[in-house]
Amino acid sequence: MGQLIRKAVLIVLGALWLVPVYLMIVNAGKTNADYGLTSPWQPTSLGNLVENAASAWERGNLLEGVISTLIYAIVSPAVAAIIGAMAGFAIIALKLRHSFLWFTVIFSSTVFPIQMVLMPLFIGYVQLDLYDTRHGMVLLYTVISVPFSAFVMRNFFSGIAQQVFEAAVMDGASSWRIFWRIYVPMSFPALVAIFILQATFIWNDLLLGLTLTQSQENRPIVTLLSALQSTYGGSTMPVVLAGGLLVSLPTVILFLATQRSFTRGLALGQF
Amino acid sequence: MPPPAPAERLSHAREDSPTEGMLMTTTASSARPARSHRNPFARASVGFVLPAMVLVAILLYIPFVYTTYLSFTEFSGLGTPEFIGWENYVTVFTDPTILRSLVNTAMWVVGTLVLPVGLGLLLAVLAHGIKGSAWYRLPFLLPYAISGVAVGLVWTFILQTDGALTEALRFFGLPGADARWLLDWPLNTFVMIVAATWQGAGVNALLFGIGLQSIPKEPIEAARIDGASGWNLFRYVTWPMLTPLTTVVIGLAIVGSLKTFDIVWAMTKGGPGRASETLALTMFKETFTEYKYGLGAALAVVLTIVTVTSALLYLRRQLAPAKEF
Repeated sequence: MGQLIRKAVLIVLGALWLVPVYLMIVNAGKTNADYGLTSPWQPTSLGNLVENAASAWERGNLLEGVISTLIYAIVSPAVAAIIGAMAGFAIIALKLRHSFLWFTVIFSSTVFPIQMVLMPLFIGYVQLDLYDTRHGMVLLYTVISVPFSAFVMRNFFSGIAQQVFEAAVMDGASSWRIFWRIYVPMSFPALVAIFILQATFIWNDLLLGLTLTQSQENRPIVTLLSALQSTYGGSTMPVVLAGGLLVSLPTVILFLATQRSFTRGLALGQF
Repeated sequence: MPPPAPAERLSHAREDSPTEGMLMTTTASSARPARSHRNPFARASVGFVLPAMVLVAILLYIPFVYTTYLSFTEFSGLGTPEFIGWENYVTVFTDPTILRSLVNTAMWVVGTLVLPVGLGLLLAVLAHGIKGSAWYRLPFLLPYAISGVAVGLVWTFILQTDGALTEALRFFGLPGADARWLLDWPLNTFVMIVAATWQGAGVNALLFGIGLQSIPKEPIEAARIDGASGWNLFRYVTWPMLTPLTTVVIGLAIVGSLKTFDIVWAMTKGGPGRASETLALTMFKETFTEYKYGLGAALAVVLTIVTVTSALLYLRRQLAPAKEF
């Protein structure tokens, strides 16, 4: 009986949670004229959705944003996952000396707000010609993702019996080989979870993109969405909403397709 | 009596005949890399941790130190920073705009603890033990995959003048139809916290759910047999056992709320005027639109001190060797 009531409450709250999504989709499908005349709650045929999305795509210069953001969101988390795994491997399997200190230094860098490094990064990037470049952004997104990755991988590796490592050493394998041939394949689920989570965070980043890029071709997609909103909000709201849908689609699909890895990564990442 | 386990036999052998014991120890140490004295992988281990260390040191720690230095200077990005002592910090705690920003940030912290954390706990308790609970949680997790800017975009649309919310309130004859959601302070900060709740409650529900699952069944059963149920069962049995996890969730929520930037940027840009800014946003504006690098740095330092202090709540737990919840 209690279960039934709880289910009902969850369904009602869940439906309530989806209301903003409903409003977004319905209004993203209206023509600008319809939008002015009808209630935002009134459903439509969504006939204008594709056209609005195309319009947002064009006005917001989203194509270039998509390309650069894809590069950032794929390369950086992949590299960071490996670098973090290497650190975890050093700490757990190779029994790095003073490992607690090393780990604290690496991990604590995620605690302080990014504001603490924003301005020197800006100054340094300008001086080193990294400002408004794709490789500059890839580098920074990688660094930002490393601590989380090291954290998850240390936890993951501590669940692997040390005998695995010792047996490989007995067989004469080098630490480099052991890492790539045994530990990396074994930790694939954790690496994937890190990748998915960090890719989502990078895709959704605003602050770093705002600070360290300027041109349409290097700006991350969310920065472009924000600009689209400030420029075309108001009467052309359907176009902006369609743009918001478009930009959100990749991470929502990624989340739905990899729910298990995603939630697993979230859980792994907090403790 | 059962035959002694191998380990036991080994220790017996050691006690009984020293030579045999010696023999055992030598074989043992040659079979396994000696852990205590010389680690044959000492050099390799440093090599493996170095990339992470170097990247973090150059791109995060050096800038960190530089910001701390700049906070004691006046600097506009051109020329050389001029040392002015604590002046920027005095400004932080006397300037009305920044004081407002401090108040807003405090509201964000309290609001986040009440709404996304409280609601997350409620959702987790509701979904706990229900068949297919992952499906019930799905709508709440979905917004987490969306960027703060997109979240802000939807909610700006809902809350705009004569927008969807106003219309709904008017339709049902409810109070609030005249409210100017994003234009009046402190209402605008409050509704932005609601938007952040829409995005973040699901994650807290997920984390609390993991915590609830890891609680051993026996004490709950025992309490139930003793007649505890409902609220009392939760208050006196479940909740205390959830404490370690609650500490982490609350700590993360405080730290996250202190860093609030995206949603405010997307919904009000800190306005109207500068009424709804958070510290993170004020720092950004002072630095990159006002070119007050020194003041921006001081704001960053204040924000960092508050954040790190709150993080100590859970950091010790995270840094400790892995444990399963």
